[in-house]
Amino acid sequence: MKIAVVLRQVPDVVEELVIADDGRSLAEGEVMCITNEADEHALEEALILKSRQGGKVTAVAAGGDEAKDALATAVAKGADEAILVAVPFEHRGDNVRLASVLGPAMKSAGYDLILTGVWAADQMDAGLAGLLAVHLSLPYVGGVMSVSLEPSGAKGLVRKEFPGGRLGVMEVSLPAVLGIQSAEQPPRYVPVSKVMQAKRTLQVREQAEPSPVVQGIRASKLIKSGSAAKAEMLPGDAKQVAEQIVRILRERGIA
Amino acid sequence: MIPREVVVVAEHMAGELTDVTLEMLACAYELARSVGWRVTCLILASDPKPFQALPLAADKVVVVTDPGLGSPNPAAYARVLPHVLKDLSARLVILGNTSMGIDLAGPLSHDLGAPAISGCVGLRAEGDRIVATSRLCGGKLVAHIEPQGGLAIALLMPGSFHKELGMRDDVPPMEVRPSPETLESLPVHFVELIEPKMEDVDVTRVDVLIAAGRGVQSKENLAPLEALAKELGGAVCATRPVVDQGWLPRTRQVGRSGMTVKPRLYLALGVSGAPEHTEGMRASGLIVAVNKDPEAPIFDVAHYGATVDLLELVPILTEKIKEAKGRQ
Repeated sequence: MKIAVVLRQVPDVVEELVIADDGRSLAEGEVMCITNEADEHALEEALILKSRQGGKVTAVAAGGDEAKDALATAVAKGADEAILVAVPFEHRGDNVRLASVLGPAMKSAGYDLILTGVWAADQMDAGLAGLLAVHLSLPYVGGVMSVSLEPSGAKGLVRKEFPGGRLGVMEVSLPAVLGIQSAEQPPRYVPVSKVMQAKRTLQVREQAEPSPVVQGIRASKLIKSGSAAKAEMLPGDAKQVAEQIVRILRERGIA
Repeated sequence: MIPREVVVVAEHMAGELTDVTLEMLACAYELARSVGWRVTCLILASDPKPFQALPLAADKVVVVTDPGLGSPNPAAYARVLPHVLKDLSARLVILGNTSMGIDLAGPLSHDLGAPAISGCVGLRAEGDRIVATSRLCGGKLVAHIEPQGGLAIALLMPGSFHKELGMRDDVPPMEVRPSPETLESLPVHFVELIEPKMEDVDVTRVDVLIAAGRGVQSKENLAPLEALAKELGGAVCATRPVVDQGWLPRTRQVGRSGMTVKPRLYLALGVSGAPEHTEGMRASGLIVAVNKDPEAPIFDVAHYGATVDLLELVPILTEKIKEAKGRQ
């Protein structure tokens, strides 16, 4: 079983997001990047499948220099191979472009499964997994919560999330692309020392962008959402805030 | 001539159109009326009967039928839709930013050569141009996007429009047509739908919800939240990251793929307010949010907010509520 996982570098939304002078993109030097959360789950699911069925997991990171750290972490967790696709900062959120870049390289590698997160924090267009699937003419299911494979490796049973806590069980022919929502267990922890060790011995195969690349949509304007526009903010320390909340709840007969 | 047809791709479950379908119709109707375009509600189903005589906010309802369209299988939808959408001369296709819509966006965007815009909270037409407002980065940023070309696909965030406006007084004409494509040899088969087991707490039936977000930091830190919930006669629910960590069962998840709740009190603790979460709780009676980040989008939907440390606040709040009850 050959499994590829695509790991994207996205802005860390917990940190401050600074808009660039062009008013339509994020400021490269001022934004912290991390591996997309759903992609971390995709890696975890790939490693779970490897432990169950055997096989080889290839981590494909798209991004800048920090993508190498993501690859080292993936190898420390159990990935067998690391490929880096350098993608300029301004194009990272463009899944149409990303699919056109990743598609040709993945086609020849003969993966049985390609996993990536069903969404990305900086996404404005269609999800990468679905776009990759059409590039590769492979079946696709997104919103996947678990995967089990037939021993023959010809088919997989996946659980897809639907609203209201429902799960749809779908049978998919392999090879296929899956958009992972959450892995069956939380992404595993790996000690920093192991990541550092993986970093020292990391063999990264670098892949250049093909030419020409296809462009997707771009924002004409990017603004911060109007935070604190609606809520009445309660001032003071924790004790004072608690007193105000109790007063509000009592006024409404809740406490 | 540029086509002026807005097509809403309906979603349905157990023979009923979902709320997001009515919201998409409300959005489409408002846009179409502002520039004189027309709205088609496109329903893919095995049987048209449940959808007859519905007073939908559309100029026309088209039902495409095939036994293979009886279950929510995006692969079946993806095979049928490009043909039907071309036939309807769509200018704008509206999908839900849902489990189904997200799966359709990639294949449709590719097959129709049309840009897809996800996370839309607003859509308007200016002359022949379409301008979409989309939320990204956990709702912290808003992008204005003007798709180029003749056809655009927009994925509408649930909860962005009032579903009541997706219904009108009149019943639009309905046309039923067979699927233009055979659905017998799909690479993805729908096997079954599993309903959630409510062996734990049913968060949709609780009056007071204490919501744990990523800011709670660890499973151990949930204990004081449970104590607070108990004091208020409520339950603890959570955002996806908390459930993904295995700290609470999936039946407690509120948001797009979890539960939609409407308690009297929703106390959001360490919840950032990503649109995927707020669409499941924004109709709550009273929303109080506590988050150290003053820019957290949860403050856009909350009635009251505070930026104190939730781990410090919760035990004090529990004590104060106990005291207040003691005084009664």
